[in-house]
Amino acid sequence: MSEEYPLIPVKFVVNGKEVEVKVKPYERLVDTLRYRLGLSSIKEGCGRGECGSCVVIVDDKLVPSCLMLTVQVRGKKILTLEGIGSEDKLHPIQKAFIETHAPQCGFCIPGVIMAAYWLLEVKKNLNPSIDDIKEALSGNICRCGSYFRFIKAVQLAAEELRKMKKI
Amino acid sequence: MSRVAEYVQIVEEVFHKKPKEYLVIGKTVKKYNSLELALGKPVYLADYINRFKELLWLKTVRSPYAHAKIKRIDFSEALKLKGVVGVVTADDVPGSKNIGYVLPDQPVLAYDKVRYHGEGIAIIAAVEKEIAEEAVSLVKVEYEPLPVLLDPLKALKPDAPKIHDKGNILTRFKIRRGNIEEGFSKADAVVEGEYRVNQQEHAYIETEGVIAIPEPDGTITLIINTQCPFDVRRDVSRATGLSFNKIRVIVPMIGGGFGGKEDVLNIIGARAAIAAMKFRKPVVLIHDREECVLDHSKRHAGIMRYKHGATKDGKLVAVQGEIILDTGAYASLGPFVLWRATVHSVGPYVVPNAKIDSVLVYTNKLYAGAFRGFGCPQVAFAVERQMDKLAEKLGMDPLEFRLKNILREGDQTVHGQLLDHSVGLEDILERLGKASNWKQKRAEYEKFNRETKGVIRKGIGLAIWWHGNSIGAEGADYSSAVIIINRDGTITYRTNITDFGNASPQGHIMIVSEILGVPLEYIHIERPDTSAAPDAGPTVASRGQVMGGNAALVAAYKLRQRLNQVAADMLECSPDEVVIKAPDVYCKSDPSKRISWRDLVEECFWRGVPLQEIGYYRAPRAIWDDETGQGQPYFTYTYVGAIAEVEVDIETGKVRVTKLYGAFDIGKVINRVGLELHAEGGAIMSMGYALTEEVKYDENGLVMNPNLYAYYVPTILDVPDSIEYEFIEAGFKRGPFGAKGFGEPSVEPWHPAIANAIAYALKVDVNEIPATPERIYRLLKKAGLLKI
Repeated sequence: MSEEYPLIPVKFVVNGKEVEVKVKPYERLVDTLRYRLGLSSIKEGCGRGECGSCVVIVDDKLVPSCLMLTVQVRGKKILTLEGIGSEDKLHPIQKAFIETHAPQCGFCIPGVIMAAYWLLEVKKNLNPSIDDIKEALSGNICRCGSYFRFIKAVQLAAEELRKMKKI
Repeated sequence: MSRVAEYVQIVEEVFHKKPKEYLVIGKTVKKYNSLELALGKPVYLADYINRFKELLWLKTVRSPYAHAKIKRIDFSEALKLKGVVGVVTADDVPGSKNIGYVLPDQPVLAYDKVRYHGEGIAIIAAVEKEIAEEAVSLVKVEYEPLPVLLDPLKALKPDAPKIHDKGNILTRFKIRRGNIEEGFSKADAVVEGEYRVNQQEHAYIETEGVIAIPEPDGTITLIINTQCPFDVRRDVSRATGLSFNKIRVIVPMIGGGFGGKEDVLNIIGARAAIAAMKFRKPVVLIHDREECVLDHSKRHAGIMRYKHGATKDGKLVAVQGEIILDTGAYASLGPFVLWRATVHSVGPYVVPNAKIDSVLVYTNKLYAGAFRGFGCPQVAFAVERQMDKLAEKLGMDPLEFRLKNILREGDQTVHGQLLDHSVGLEDILERLGKASNWKQKRAEYEKFNRETKGVIRKGIGLAIWWHGNSIGAEGADYSSAVIIINRDGTITYRTNITDFGNASPQGHIMIVSEILGVPLEYIHIERPDTSAAPDAGPTVASRGQVMGGNAALVAAYKLRQRLNQVAADMLECSPDEVVIKAPDVYCKSDPSKRISWRDLVEECFWRGVPLQEIGYYRAPRAIWDDETGQGQPYFTYTYVGAIAEVEVDIETGKVRVTKLYGAFDIGKVINRVGLELHAEGGAIMSMGYALTEEVKYDENGLVMNPNLYAYYVPTILDVPDSIEYEFIEAGFKRGPFGAKGFGEPSVEPWHPAIANAIAYALKVDVNEIPATPERIYRLLKKAGLLKI
């Protein structure tokens, strides 16, 4: 198959940096991000948009990267867990996930943090109700069952962000 | 030779010491990799792919029938596809064509016939994942369909078609205690019931995967997300003919296991190893979601018939039970699951007369095997429903009724095992009653349900359970751990107890930290690797903390003895007086006498005092008599209890769990956070088992929901409004610092408590789980409670 189709150049922005990659026409965004760009925080759990572990933010939308082709993100802005914080400068959501001891096996965590980021930083809902949090994270399955901690962590992060932004 | 082994003495000595204050034991501390987890940095199986320049992708050809003869396989079209490297079939298996955990009844790749939907028949290797996938669709297999057996009761019949040559009955167990007829003759109240449970899917978010690398020296390395690296090595050895010392198994971080990532990895490990050896290239095989559901074990479905008898003052006098577990197409760990179910089959109660018979049956469902709880959740549901029904018949409060019958210290179990210490059940019941306001809530909901004009009914229910720790009479029960104190004072910790989100390795380093007197940050945990540390046994059966933790404790203790000797010399005090609170080391009676941890370590290197140790622990031997079910099946039991509050909508049949309360006797809290996460996560998983989770089959045995959209795992929208729980520390002298296991017991009391709560809310007999809206509808209809 790869022999029959030429690779297609695609330009887009990932975590603030412009990249140009040559991809297979049928290449999924999750594979480009993981295997061509080395953004391995993104996890594939189902490959069909059911588990939420590969969600990334594409132009302010929360999308499963397994259900998007890379050619569809030409010119768009993509944000992954690698882009929201680093070891030296953790994002308040990451801090809150550590403080609440939320992760167990950790596989769903990057997706869950991205969903929380979307709620707090993209939708800018810094006073989320429990129902707001549940709705935002409803596409992320955590089989270890850390849901109680996720709610606490998002509340804690919202509080921290309110302080930082003096709201 | 009845000398007590040194490691047994060490564990008991540490248990009896009980310092005033612990350094880290029982404290809330961050997990060793918490920072990496928040950054998305832990390395899982698929994250290794980028490290290889050239990998062949493997994809499995699967059966579209649940039972059929394989007549002919034609690979010609598939092999024509550009990028396809070749195929692997049963003919390529150099060693044993069949493997299996308990008995070798399962083909590495099916030959002659297939016995379940999705069974693997062949492997295609290609240079790209998508090419391998396309090639699979081009393989033509000719089948001759055979009669499909889905009902274990039909499979049990003598004239049923045989799924395996030896017939459909795999194994039986029994318990005989006292005299069952005499027992029932003393009963003032008797209840009988038949209960059904369905297959539950582990649904870990990371699917199974393996990378197999043929090494230049003829050995093979597997990177594989198994809970049990030594089991993979054993079965890959059987299938390839390579000896153990030529197979290296490395385990990355694992995205959930729950008992599912056990024997399936032995099979796909063997498939990948054979492909890697055949094509002389590194290969990768990762299941997609559908393959994951179809091709790993499930929680056994089953049918349980019970008869319970009690006197009018509420004492159990007899329990009779028949347990039929459906193991699907292959044995997997089924025989051990049935054994555990049998051992626990009367619940944590004093039962003077018991007659239990259990049987394991093949059907053409997906094979069933290990799943967190391992036979206990099934019988817990049946027994705890029976206990509620018996209490009702006697006109007693279910909590009071249980208090009259629970096991206490000094009692004998139904196997005649004396429980001389560490039985926290009474505490569990009392604390649950208080925390939930049990009596008042029961009265309140009774009144609410009587008076309401709305569609919501409220219920509250209780259940308790017990769980034998580690593998008991199932097999050799040992563990090992390696501690190396490096010359810069840091510590390398190696265990082949794996981390798939469970709490054990973190618990191990807390034990090491406590005993050596060093901060947790000094210790680095290395990934499990069969070539780097000895066999630790499998990470199953709630044994990671108790067995692996004991091995870590023994190693740390021995190092501490040596360190104390050297420090005593340097400080000029007695070894008992040495206090290590790294970075400081000082003399207890004269803290001004002081050296540093690094000085102490350096001095050991100069003096030739070795600072590495392999810890080993072997569990006390289990005893089991097959004819009577008498003996000592497990060396200790964890006890758990839960209360659930529910709201049932009688128009939609939907159940919402509103509040949960738990109490657990886990011996001693070591890794507090780990225990808390198990309590909460266990409750959620068990709630799924109670209400929504069920693998469904059509009449041909094809799985209807091999996915995560029609197989309903609880999401954050389903979580109860609150959960409260507490830990009871009825210390166990043979556990590390007194600890018992919690991995599995953490899922065991919730679903029966939820079922009892629904029964209380609706006044119906909830006799099958999951209690889906459809089943609630049927129960309401049967009870004449439907308004429409």
